[in-house]
Amino acid sequence: MTRAEDALVVCERCDQAYRWTPLRPGAIARCTRCEAILGRGHRIGPDTILALTVTALVVFLIALFADVISIRLGGTTVSSTLPGAVAAIWDEGDWMVAVATAVTALIAPALYIGLRLYVLVPIATGKVPIGFGPCVRALHQVSRWSMVEVLTVGGLLSLVRLAALAEATPGPAMFALGALTLLFAAIEAAGLRHLWWYVR
Amino acid sequence: MSAATGGSLQPLESADGPLLGCESCGLVSRGVPPDRLPEGAVLRCSRCRHPLHHEKPFSVQRTWSCVIAAAILYVPANAMPVMSTTSAFDTNTHTLLGGIHELWIDGSWGLAVIVFVASIAVPVLKIAALGLLAWSVRRAPDWRRLERARLFRLIELVGHWSMLDVYVVVLLAACVRFGSLASAHPEPGLLAFAAVVVLTLLAAHSFDPRLIWRDRQQHG
Repeated sequence: MTRAEDALVVCERCDQAYRWTPLRPGAIARCTRCEAILGRGHRIGPDTILALTVTALVVFLIALFADVISIRLGGTTVSSTLPGAVAAIWDEGDWMVAVATAVTALIAPALYIGLRLYVLVPIATGKVPIGFGPCVRALHQVSRWSMVEVLTVGGLLSLVRLAALAEATPGPAMFALGALTLLFAAIEAAGLRHLWWYVR
Repeated sequence: MSAATGGSLQPLESADGPLLGCESCGLVSRGVPPDRLPEGAVLRCSRCRHPLHHEKPFSVQRTWSCVIAAAILYVPANAMPVMSTTSAFDTNTHTLLGGIHELWIDGSWGLAVIVFVASIAVPVLKIAALGLLAWSVRRAPDWRRLERARLFRLIELVGHWSMLDVYVVVLLAACVRFGSLASAHPEPGLLAFAAVVVLTLLAAHSFDPRLIWRDRQQHG
């Protein structure tokens, strides 16, 4: 197998090959055959992505340790954090649902931020981290299983359902989830492919 | 390529050997035709060492097995209750459709529609569409390729929203804990529903959209 030119791109959805030309910022190139997105002209560089990822880390820690929902009924207040909710389901004996929730709502977002920081911090100082390739590959898998945006809507929906029963208030973690949804969308739009430009 | 995109990408035809794009780093390598690849050999990207496949191994078989398992589990996921609530007076069980019905009666029509789409429409659409995509790869390879490619992208876009009801039950069970006064618990239907969601996600990950563009003779 020989290494073909870097100036080529192959549509990952239909194998159509193209000769690549740099895109102007904001432009989106689509495959002429299957209409899948081939690439984007990026408005933000690796430094901005690093800044967004550090912000995401801080916001994620709030989502992890603060209360997501508090409810009051008859003078008693019960509140729950996200890990607390997973633990409650585990204690109910529904451990497979607990694992599915933990992976998609906690572990995947944590890895999404952690692996990105591990890769981006050395690149910002001009170094290449050990295990760069496996990390970027793992990031591909992780981003598929991170479902923060769904969890955010799920939290809001729970508030509505609880309002019929008792006095329900969103905690700081709920707002953190909303912010995390926007941050992940911004980071995700930047993609991963461009990271390879900085390691050669 | 339309002028509005700012790109001027020219389609290429590969003369000798297929061009393989690395799905991880995007580097394009010249591969070896599948019939000339030694048994058991795996091509790897020279830059990031990710395996390069002409097509994902056992893509159609793996898609089918996940789709069929999801279709079977879809029955208990809807027939069995996903949650029970206990108050000082009585115990109620709630199914997926029952929860949507409650939202509708309460006057939250918008939310009822969102939950209906996420919990009922999306899983059915995914099971049917992935079944159709897997079937057409072998049986109708020339049929409406562009529409099938769009259908697959739609499935990938909306697929994970079905987790919505799982999260709602998890959060309700975690928050409604007032002993004998009021409590909420997950029920077996939730496990079946979570399994349907995960299986349809795995089915979509297993399916290789490049197969949509292959001609009949290209896979044995």
